[in-house]
Amino acid sequence: MGPITYEVPEDLFYTKEHEWAKVIGANVRVGITDYAAKTLNDVVYVTLPKAGQKVVQFKAFGTVESIKAVSELFSPLSGTVLKVNESLSSQPELVNKSPYGDGWLIEIKPTDLAAERHKLLDAKGYRNLITSK
Amino acid sequence: MKITQLHDYHKKKAKLAEFAGYEMPLWYSSTLEEHMAVRNYAGAFDVSHMGRIVVSGRHSTDLLERLVPTNVATQPVGKSFYTLFLNEEGGIIDDLIIMKLSDSHYLLVVNAANSAIDLNHILHGSEGLEVDVNDITSDTAMIAVQGPSSRTVLQPLVGINLAELKRFRCTETTITGHPCIISRTGYTGEDGFEVIIHGVNTRDPSKALHVWDEITKAAKPCGLAARDTLRLEAGYPLHGADIDTNTNPFEAELSWVISPEKQGYIGYRAIATAREVQPRRLRRGLILEEMIPRHGFEVVLPNGKKVGEVTSGSFSPVIKKGISLAYLDVFHAEPGESVLVRVRGVDAPAHVVRPPFYDEKVYGWKRQDNSK
Repeated sequence: MGPITYEVPEDLFYTKEHEWAKVIGANVRVGITDYAAKTLNDVVYVTLPKAGQKVVQFKAFGTVESIKAVSELFSPLSGTVLKVNESLSSQPELVNKSPYGDGWLIEIKPTDLAAERHKLLDAKGYRNLITSK
Repeated sequence: MKITQLHDYHKKKAKLAEFAGYEMPLWYSSTLEEHMAVRNYAGAFDVSHMGRIVVSGRHSTDLLERLVPTNVATQPVGKSFYTLFLNEEGGIIDDLIIMKLSDSHYLLVVNAANSAIDLNHILHGSEGLEVDVNDITSDTAMIAVQGPSSRTVLQPLVGINLAELKRFRCTETTITGHPCIISRTGYTGEDGFEVIIHGVNTRDPSKALHVWDEITKAAKPCGLAARDTLRLEAGYPLHGADIDTNTNPFEAELSWVISPEKQGYIGYRAIATAREVQPRRLRRGLILEEMIPRHGFEVVLPNGKKVGEVTSGSFSPVIKKGISLAYLDVFHAEPGESVLVRVRGVDAPAHVVRPPFYDEKVYGWKRQDNSK
C-alpha cells in the first residue's frame, strides 16, 4: 500500500503491544490502536474477560482474531474489569471501523494508575514506535 | 522475491505478502468485503504467479495420458478439466487444470508453489515422446474474474460471445484486442473466467495492467486472503494443506477424477490397490459454533479420543462461523456428527458436513437465480 497514516489520539496512553488506555474519571477504558486494527484487518472474534475479573499490567487478558491470525490482548494497567463491550460479540467489525470509539474493549478500575502509567507510552512515544516499523 | 506483471498496481493499492516466492496482494480493502463482492457480483484476482505450462506436438495426448488418472484423449477439444499428478504410491504431487486447446496443444495451470516440481515431472514423463514442453509462466499474465456477474464484466472486453462458452470450456480469443485464452473455470465456487494474456512479461507489463484496469472498472480487486476464504467455503482443497503426497484421491474425496477403466498412468497400480480397501480417513468439512479452526488443530470426541486433524481453517463470511477442512477417522466422518475441535486448549463444539459450506441454491455457480 502507499504510505498509510495511523490515527494516534493525543489524550491516550499506549502499550508497545498496540493497546490504548483512556482515563475517564476514576476508571480507564481500553482498546486496540488504529495501527493494530489496520494491520489485523477483518476482526471476526474478540474474546474478553468478564466483569469482576482481574487484569495485570502487560499480561494477556483476551484475544482478538482476524481471518488470518489470532493476537493476544495485553492490559495497559492492573485492575478489575468493570464493563465489557458486549456489542463486539455480534459486531466484531467495530474494532476495525472505530478502534478508539465504538470498538472499545473493556473498562477497568485501576489499582495503581499513578505509578503504572509511567510505564506506558504517550502519543508521541507510540507514534515513534509505529513509524519505526 | 518474484513479482507478477500487475505488481505496480498491487504495491500502490494492496497490503502485500509473500506467497510461493512472489510478492502478492493479500487484500486491497478488506477480505470480508472482497469475499462478498465475489459471492454477490464479481471480483478480479491476479493469479499470474500460478504455473502455466504448454504441452504441444504429436504425442501431447500420450504424454498427458501417462501423467494423469483422467482420460485425456476422450475429452473434447475446448474442454478444461480438473485432474491430479500422482506419484507411484498414489500420493498427490499437485492438482491442476488442463485446457485442451487442440489434440496437440494443451495448457496446464498448476499451483505456483509446485511449478518447478510439476515441470520436472512433465519433462521426465516426456522421455521418448515427440512433444514440446514450454513453461510460459513468465511470458503470460493470468487474471481470474469470479462471481455471478463475471460474464457481464468481461463480455464488453472480449472477442467472443461468452454465453456460448460453457463451464469447464476454454477457447482462444482476445481481451481488449490482445490474444488470450479464456477458460470458464475458477477456485471460488462461483461462475467465473480465467483469462491468460499472451505476450506480456514483467519488463513490459503495460498490456496486463491495461487489461486489469479495464476489468476492475466493474469487478472488485480481490487479494489472496479472499481467494482462500472463497475456496474454503466452496470446499476446494489447497495442495500443501489439504492434499499432498501423503494423501490419496480416495481419502481426499477426489476419486471422481480417476477414469475407472484407465491403466498405465503413473500411480495406477497404487490406485488399483487402494480402490479395493476402504480408506481409513476421509476429507470432510467442519463448522464450529464459535472460534476459528486452524491447520493442525486436533479433532476429538467428547471422551477425548482423537479422531482427526484440521488441514485448512478460516472464517466463512457467508455463514459467519469458523469452518475447516479436516481428515476424519472413517467411523466419525458422517455428516451431522458432533465433534470437538481443540482450539488453543479449549474444546470447541463442531459438526461434520460435506462442503460446500454455503447453500447452493443461494450461492455458487449452480445457484437458482443464475439466468446468465
